[in-house]
Amino acid sequence: MSGARPAWRAAALTALTWVLVLLTTFPLLWMLLTSLKPQTELFALPPTFLPESISFAPYLRLLFDTPFPRYFANSIVLATATTLLVVAIGAIGAHSLLRFSYRGREALATLVLATYLLPSVVLIVPLYLMMVEIGLANRLASLIIAYTSFALPYALWLLRSFMAAIPEEMEAAARVDGASRIGAFVDIILPQALPGIGATALFTFILAWNDYLYALVLVNTDTARPLTTGVVTMFVTTFNVEWSMLMAASVLMSIPPIILFTFFHHQLSRSIGAAGVRS
Amino acid sequence: MAALLRLRPATSPQALARRDALLGLLLIAPTVLILSAVIAYPLATTAYLSLHNVYTPTLATEWAGLSNYRAILSGGTFWHALATTLVWTIGTLALQLLFGVAMALLLNRNIRLRALARSLVLFPYFLATVVAVLVWRWLLNGLFGVVDHALIALGLIDTPVDWLGTMPNAMATTIVIGAWKFFPFVVIAVLARLQTVPAHLYEAARLDGAGSWARFTDITLPHLSGVLGLVALLRMIWDFREFDLIYLLTGGGPLDHTRTLPLVVYQQAFGLNQMGMAAAYAVLMMLLVLAMTIPYLARARGRR
Amino acid sequence: MPIARRQVLRGLGAGGLGVGMALLAGCGDRTGGPTILRWWSPQATPEQVASYREQIRAFESRNPNVRIVFEPTSDEGYPTQFAAAFAAGQMPDLVTHLPSFAAQNYYDRGLIEPMDDVVAAIGADSFFPGALAPFRAADGHYCAIGIGSTAVDMLWYRQDLLQLAGIGAAPRTWDELRAACAKVQRRGLYGTALPYGMNSMTSLIFISIIHQAGGQLFTPELDVAIDSPPTYAALDFYRSMREFCPPGATIFSWGECLTAFVSGASATGIYSGRVLANVAAQNPRIADVIGCVAYPTLSRAIPPWTFNDFPSLFIPKGARNPALAKAFAISLFSPDIYPTQLRATPGHILPTLKGIVDDPVYLADPLVAKYQREIAMMAKLAANGHNLGMESPAHLPNLRAGEIIASNCIAELVQRVVLEGENPRLAVGQAASRLERLMSA
Repeated sequence: MSGARPAWRAAALTALTWVLVLLTTFPLLWMLLTSLKPQTELFALPPTFLPESISFAPYLRLLFDTPFPRYFANSIVLATATTLLVVAIGAIGAHSLLRFSYRGREALATLVLATYLLPSVVLIVPLYLMMVEIGLANRLASLIIAYTSFALPYALWLLRSFMAAIPEEMEAAARVDGASRIGAFVDIILPQALPGIGATALFTFILAWNDYLYALVLVNTDTARPLTTGVVTMFVTTFNVEWSMLMAASVLMSIPPIILFTFFHHQLSRSIGAAGVRS
Repeated sequence: MAALLRLRPATSPQALARRDALLGLLLIAPTVLILSAVIAYPLATTAYLSLHNVYTPTLATEWAGLSNYRAILSGGTFWHALATTLVWTIGTLALQLLFGVAMALLLNRNIRLRALARSLVLFPYFLATVVAVLVWRWLLNGLFGVVDHALIALGLIDTPVDWLGTMPNAMATTIVIGAWKFFPFVVIAVLARLQTVPAHLYEAARLDGAGSWARFTDITLPHLSGVLGLVALLRMIWDFREFDLIYLLTGGGPLDHTRTLPLVVYQQAFGLNQMGMAAAYAVLMMLLVLAMTIPYLARARGRR
Repeated sequence: MPIARRQVLRGLGAGGLGVGMALLAGCGDRTGGPTILRWWSPQATPEQVASYREQIRAFESRNPNVRIVFEPTSDEGYPTQFAAAFAAGQMPDLVTHLPSFAAQNYYDRGLIEPMDDVVAAIGADSFFPGALAPFRAADGHYCAIGIGSTAVDMLWYRQDLLQLAGIGAAPRTWDELRAACAKVQRRGLYGTALPYGMNSMTSLIFISIIHQAGGQLFTPELDVAIDSPPTYAALDFYRSMREFCPPGATIFSWGECLTAFVSGASATGIYSGRVLANVAAQNPRIADVIGCVAYPTLSRAIPPWTFNDFPSLFIPKGARNPALAKAFAISLFSPDIYPTQLRATPGHILPTLKGIVDDPVYLADPLVAKYQREIAMMAKLAANGHNLGMESPAHLPNLRAGEIIASNCIAELVQRVVLEGENPRLAVGQAASRLERLMSA
């Protein structure tokens, strides 16, 4: 092979990669561009690429004339509470499954894995009845519980694979120095597991932030309605599909996941890698 | 891994071991409690409801025995929905794996602004499904959609394409959008694994005169097989039970050509107000997922 | 109903679970203080919500210990939401703008209050003749009252485009409509925009089309009568119109059909008076060249049949304070309040009370004034309108109308014949047997 050919090929592959990356992200770019066009421009044929006049009106209406801020706050509360609950319970659970020996441990681990493969739509009917019976229907709490049902098994599995990579000797050494098991967990294991916890938190947050089905069934008041169902209820109506508003809402809705994602990106790749390699 | 765990300090007295086990149980207790409340209990309820006729708005209940199951298994809806679910699952999974591995291989090369490209490509995965569907419906809008207009401008089509309202377009579009939404998961996992493949293997192969395709099949693919198996299993199960994307994109239409099993469960429970039938569908669906998982779980346990 | 629910859950031994969950219940919000009334409606544009707020403020200022919270509900998904809310005992105190047949069904199941006292307080003769008929239940009581009236299936057309194509008068028969669409259609402009999606609009509009061929779905005694010549004529017409609609009409519902006409993508369209407000807001260029007539019929011998969903107002049983909810409901019809509510969607929600069309407060709205002729015509058509809940004045109330629409079986009939090219006889036969099943369930 000549020396010129690989260089030419590398350039071509770089170009190909970027074309594919840009195609993948084009829908998001289009979402942003659409949200900045005034409603009248959306009906232009053929569609304009860049907005002819930039309008922040959809954003302003969204923030000041609609319940969007309330839905946003609900979603933040929901996703944060779910994440905290799931990560806290998941971390000690994973620790127990990894570093303690008791009867039925392996069976338990398998069961947890099995539960996280259950179709969520299977659980929705009884969960709904349960929420009705214990009086939590239409409360944020009902969604926190529901999200925990599908996030916890996944989190436990992720955390377990990640924490398994922490050398056992570190804990043993701390124990020799007189630390209790809990002390060793808090002082040694948790700091080591932080990247994995970060990745798990990200996944849990996204699961809770993005859910539509549970929110659709379990909640029908504005006080507890999250963004996903709220936005659809508001703007996909019989009298209008307000695309500029929908796209503006979509942009705003994507901001928290994107912030978290940029923040935890490296932990994510590392822990997924770790989990993947292990299997 | 499990063998390592058994290497605990041999000096521990028995009492200590027992206290240890107790602490272990205590730590797992919240998990077990929550999972039994939100999974085991609902599962039992589902099984119970599936044996009854239940009218959703009033929850009035009457014993039905196995008649729900009999109706489902002898009617066409279940089998049609099952076939639809399989087409969707296999189609979108294949595309996710293909595109995911290809993208990971490309992103593993030394390209310009690699870190940026790697982040950008993951965005679809973190987007709310609602948002993803809304954006795509706007892109594919029959009157103002940019996709149609771009294709017309390029001279590829004459009139807008009916992307979501006829077959086979609706299924194909759903499969492609599903692949777009979920392939980044494959990219994340494969990319992480690729970085652990020793570079010297490639060097050695290159010296032996192996072409790039041979290097891919002889070195890369064997290294990826483990992670691909796991990723494929996870994605298969998630795709099998996907509700949000399909419900929001096509609602199951045209007719019932994209109505997968989860949509049938939802329609029975809240559209037709027949909770009992919905529960019976759900039980059958669960059995199917279990059947898909058992080989993997058995293998995973066997390996330990 | 609560007993039935208890039974299910007792049978499951839910008791023990409550303890653990009670801890989590703390996350929920609890409110004390003034009486809170929750008001639900699927009609919730920003303009409408603003007018509701005004009405709420007026009521609250007279009743300082009451707070009214308005919450929008989903339009297509209201059966789900209401089923869940009834089952959970989480009903609001007041519901407006659901179609009359939904109210009839809920009343039949004992889920909502009779409204005779509210009707009496407002005065039965202040309503248009016939405006309350759709709400009279089998037991003689009123299950709801009409908060408004809507002429849902008007034929909207662009005068400029029709004239350009040499068409002088608005179409009155299907043949004329088809001919007009064929003449105006060209690259970038569709003849019309009808719904062919699997949704409530396709079902509801196609029911109108059957009636516009002189047919009906049920006999007055509610026997299935869909398998008759007018249905086949309607299917023929609907199939022949496909080529004049955008390719994407296969998933069209209300929003898309409206937007197609408002944006200027189609020369004619089918929708209620909501077109007026949307044109003013989104495409004012065409504001002076739009017009509407009753939707064409198979032949001039068949009179127009207007679909009116008869938007209702009802009060669920178990509302925390039915007396207050009723007082608020009555206040919504007071002469100083009612016109402002209608003005929030000029031409869409039309008055059910007499004398509003010429009311100066109502006419003060620029859109109402501009389109006074169209609005008066729609009000007249709507007053004589019908829906599946009562296909004609001779029909018994059809309590299953809501479930028939939710089952999408009529939309399915349309899709089978128009999109899949199935044999109409087979498809109609199937629809008929599904209707039988739904009626007997």
